[in-house]
Amino acid sequence: MPPITRYFIKSGMIYFVLGIVLAFYAELPGVKTGALLLPVYWHMLVIGWLTQIIMGVSIWMFPRTKKQRKNIQSFPVVAAFWTLNTGLILRFLAEPFIPLVQNGLVFNIVIILSSILQISSVIFYLIEIWPRVQTRKRRVRRNS
Amino acid sequence: MAKSPNPETAREEEFVMPAQTIWMIRLSLIYFLLSALIGGLLLIHKTMSLHPALWLLLPLHYEMAIWGWMVQFVMGTAYWMLPRFLKGKIRGPAKPAWWMFILFNAGLLLLLISFLAPGANALAPAGRFLMMTAILLFCYLMWNRIASFKHHGH
Repeated sequence: MPPITRYFIKSGMIYFVLGIVLAFYAELPGVKTGALLLPVYWHMLVIGWLTQIIMGVSIWMFPRTKKQRKNIQSFPVVAAFWTLNTGLILRFLAEPFIPLVQNGLVFNIVIILSSILQISSVIFYLIEIWPRVQTRKRRVRRNS
Repeated sequence: MAKSPNPETAREEEFVMPAQTIWMIRLSLIYFLLSALIGGLLLIHKTMSLHPALWLLLPLHYEMAIWGWMVQFVMGTAYWMLPRFLKGKIRGPAKPAWWMFILFNAGLLLLLISFLAPGANALAPAGRFLMMTAILLFCYLMWNRIASFKHHGH
């Protein structure tokens, strides 16, 4: 298992725990912030946990092209991990406070940055994985 | 008499991604990107109101993320990776697998269109029905492949 896959899976597990803890907290009687936490724990579970597991395992298991075999931990893979996790952390820190902070410049920059980082991570992941999803003919051609 | 397959070719075949998997994974990656783009836009819209109609895209965002990206990716990968038959076609008949891919994506497309055309009431149930049929086909294709080597009767 390449180190980057371990990072993806372990950070995924942290989000898994945080997600279920927040979901539990949001359901407690007397907690009035449940609605604000809803997008946070859903994204922790769906992006932080499930998507990161899929990304980490596919980077590990999907057949590499000849060029990719020389560098298992390529730039797009490392960039996908860091942009996704930085983007998610910024999002989780800022999103619950959106109704409280209106038109704060720094706050808006954090949200926009988080959004750009999350989208960038998907693009980096696609750059890595798209050439690895290929027909036998193309694989033979690439590897020859 | 049936021609016995070349063991080396058959072995190589096991590791090659089938065409159905390639199509399912590539479409799932496209849905992942589209869903992330809409999600990013909605997140920014929460702080800086961009356009009130943007919230109409919320169901597209989560349906594409769950069904288009995650479920389709897992189905495509499972069809490729789960234990293969030792005799005959290694992943079972190809036609139901193509129907699984076609019905799932046609259904998802109908479902996504239904959110943009709220008047067309039949689209959402029709879409869900096609997706349900595709999932039943997936279970039919996978059921006998979920076996340990010892109990592989084929």
